[in-house]
Amino acid sequence: MTVWLAILFPYVALVQLVIAPRHNLSTRISDPRFLIEQVFAFSTGIAAVVAAFASVIPGERRRLWIWPLLPLAGWLGSLGEGCLRAGLDGISLHHDLTCFPFIAVLGTAPGIVLWFMLRRGAPMTPHLTAALGALGAAGLGNFCVRLGHPEDVTVMLLVWHVGGVFVLAVAASIAGRCLLNWRSLTSASQNAAR
Amino acid sequence: MIEPGKDERHLSELMRLAQFGNAMAYEELLEDITPRLRRIVRRQRSFLKTEDIEDLVQDILLSVHSVRATFDPQRPFMPWLLAITRNRLADGARRYSRQGAREIQVDDMAVTFEAETPNTRMGTYGDPDALKQAIGALPPGQRDAIEMLKLHEMSLKEAAAASGMSIGALKVATHRAMHALRKLLKDS
Repeated sequence: MTVWLAILFPYVALVQLVIAPRHNLSTRISDPRFLIEQVFAFSTGIAAVVAAFASVIPGERRRLWIWPLLPLAGWLGSLGEGCLRAGLDGISLHHDLTCFPFIAVLGTAPGIVLWFMLRRGAPMTPHLTAALGALGAAGLGNFCVRLGHPEDVTVMLLVWHVGGVFVLAVAASIAGRCLLNWRSLTSASQNAAR
Repeated sequence: MIEPGKDERHLSELMRLAQFGNAMAYEELLEDITPRLRRIVRRQRSFLKTEDIEDLVQDILLSVHSVRATFDPQRPFMPWLLAITRNRLADGARRYSRQGAREIQVDDMAVTFEAETPNTRMGTYGDPDALKQAIGALPPGQRDAIEMLKLHEMSLKEAAAASGMSIGALKVATHRAMHALRKLLKDS
């Protein structure tokens, strides 16, 4: 977990330099609602990654798997509150398609590193592990994107940002057994022994 | 009899040493847990054959070897081992049901036929005189075709050159001759 975070933070910093945060970020940071949303988003990502690592340790406490639920509820709640405040103005037909690929790209590199690390563990619950890993990587990717796009919360943002994160998590869950399985692990051990 | 707590600490210590590369400790650990795993698998899957039980035990041991780095020496060993065992047993059950759905168990069949009597079915038309007479009763063109292609084993080209018939005509004549011979021999 520590190693993964040590890779993640420099990567996020590098991405932020490339994306060049919007000029209104400094004003938005002082907005408590934006801060709360970002804290919950970041906590969701971190908690999901911790839960993913816990799920590949045999005999580890299963209640660790529900760790992401609390910050996730806080994150969705903060976004929902923002949508309600935006009211009808927030229901925009403008589809900002650049957000979802940004989340995917930002989450991909940490996601791949995470996959390599999780593969060394025991694939006890491959679908859950993959979903948690994707939720963590994509959630942290969304956190980075929001630093570059700190607009007011709208339904558009809820759909493309949060929806995108969940789509990636579900897709990873479906591919869970392909990504993490005993066969690849034991065959690697057998090859190493030869 | 070793106290359960002492046994647990001993196994944790062996695993800790094995993680640091102590081969003797690892060997002792595997020798200790293998019969336990066999008992557990036999109890959980009593309907399996001995070789299938052994396969499952080997799967579990291979899995233990593959993920030995995930064991925390500060924690008890058996819960860690049992978690892997349960997971591999579940995988084994899924594999077993998939195979059962796709495969049908057949009895062991002999490689050769049990009966010692020869296969005499081919001897039904073994009378050379009857065959000679039947060939003689054929029309000339058909008779020539049968004699050249079947009795003298000439190629179609050679037979066409010898008889002056085209290859197509030879083929037709042979086909008609075989049909006629079958009818003649059946009637006789």
